Amino acid sequence: MLSKLLKQEFRATGRIMLPVLAALLLLSVLGNFSIRMMDQNVTNNAVLRFLFVFLIIVFVLGMFAAVLMTLLLMITRFYRNLLKDEGYLMHTLPVSVHGLVWSKLIVSLVWFVVTGLVVTAILFLTGLIQSGTNLGELMMEFPSWAEIREAMAEAGFRGSDITVFLLELLALVGFFATCLHFYAAMAMGHMFNKDKILLSIVFFVVISFALSMMTSLLAFRIDSLELYVAEFDSAQVLGFMNRLLRFSLIVELIQGALLYFATTLSLRRGLNLA
Amino acid sequence: MPILECRELSKRFGKTAALDNVSLKLEPGRVIGLLGPNGSGKTTLIKLCNGLLTPSEGEILIDGEAPGPKTKAIVSYLSDKEYLPDWMSTRQLMDFFEDFYQDFDRQRAEEMLLRLGLDEKQKVKTMSKGTREKVQLILVMSRRAKLYLLDEPIGGVDPATRDYILDTIIRNYNPEAAVLISTHLIADVEQVLDEVIFIQNGQILLQSDVDSIREEKGMSVDQYFREVFKC
Repeated sequence: MLSKLLKQEFRATGRIMLPVLAALLLLSVLGNFSIRMMDQNVTNNAVLRFLFVFLIIVFVLGMFAAVLMTLLLMITRFYRNLLKDEGYLMHTLPVSVHGLVWSKLIVSLVWFVVTGLVVTAILFLTGLIQSGTNLGELMMEFPSWAEIREAMAEAGFRGSDITVFLLELLALVGFFATCLHFYAAMAMGHMFNKDKILLSIVFFVVISFALSMMTSLLAFRIDSLELYVAEFDSAQVLGFMNRLLRFSLIVELIQGALLYFATTLSLRRGLNLA
Repeated sequence: MPILECRELSKRFGKTAALDNVSLKLEPGRVIGLLGPNGSGKTTLIKLCNGLLTPSEGEILIDGEAPGPKTKAIVSYLSDKEYLPDWMSTRQLMDFFEDFYQDFDRQRAEEMLLRLGLDEKQKVKTMSKGTREKVQLILVMSRRAKLYLLDEPIGGVDPATRDYILDTIIRNYNPEAAVLISTHLIADVEQVLDEVIFIQNGQILLQSDVDSIREEKGMSVDQYFREVFKC
């Protein structure tokens, strides 16, 4: 059933995110054109110059807006689809609460990654276009992954593969934990009969405080984890990084699991659709 | 085995008891009216049966199981809310129902839409309130479910639509299934009911055959309801 829920979730979010990404691509074309026009002082016409500056600003803001949109969508989809009237449809489907929550988490992650990649690609291409660099030549000069690893090893950062893997894993778990922070607060706030949105905000703040406390308490163990560098040495720095990442990953995993439990329990036992 | 059984079921919201020690059994093949004034606990009972609320005490069994994904596969539920996503068209909604419910009969739904002259491509947000209610009802009644739970299916619609809805319920429900219709508009539904449950202040006052009421009390269900719930 998860695949069916994912299909439905992609359909519901794609109708918003695909036009957003298409608009962003169009803005990037207009923005780049405007930068070129301003850079080359093509015209002295005040109206045209204002228009070019305006398009450049919209282009830059558009990139922020697209990333923000993925986060807003993550919150509003959960709220509208599971806690408002659509919840009468979704919670009476023959699926588990876990399926409902995971479908939201996975689809939010996909849109966040896709939007992030699109924005990165646009920034990269804008840099190339404006600097007049030939992409083909750049690709020829660009070192391969093997070469990067070799250079890292030569600099004393041997075993940096683990660091990269830990970073990726931390980003993934951290993203899910962030989503679940919002989900748990909303699910708990909507267990009550009145002031559901206000209570959701209150729960968000309370959860934030509790998570900070928990991180601080766990961080007291930092000495036993040897999270320090005796001297500035590449191998030691890498070791320090890996220990810090492992520690952060464990903290995020514990917090994510607690938030997931709070979200699913609130939806299963405390659902109170208006 | 009863298709729906409630055992000493209670639901409290804070200090208010919406349902208080309710026990009842519904057998398959019957159309049952859940009748009571506003705020009597009808919607709470139906929500509990759908797993939309959790009981404070007691238990619910649907085909012998507590509400969960398994029972939701055999229960067809019509909420008193407009719950269809407004960005979807009727065709997309049929795809959705076909995806999630194995018992959804698409052909039956398409026939009903055609008979009512409803456009499959129309999106929910452009539909009138009456059209939305018809589409919701068509989707719900196009399932070959074992238990239909219909919360106020005729509330707020014109008499012609009301007739159509009742006709749809009677002509389309699976004869092996039970249909529970919650309403306070007794006169309109009386003709289709086999059995009635009177509910007030979260308590069951009566569960009886419609024929028994007519024979023993010498009055229609509507008249008897007015007498029992006289203010």
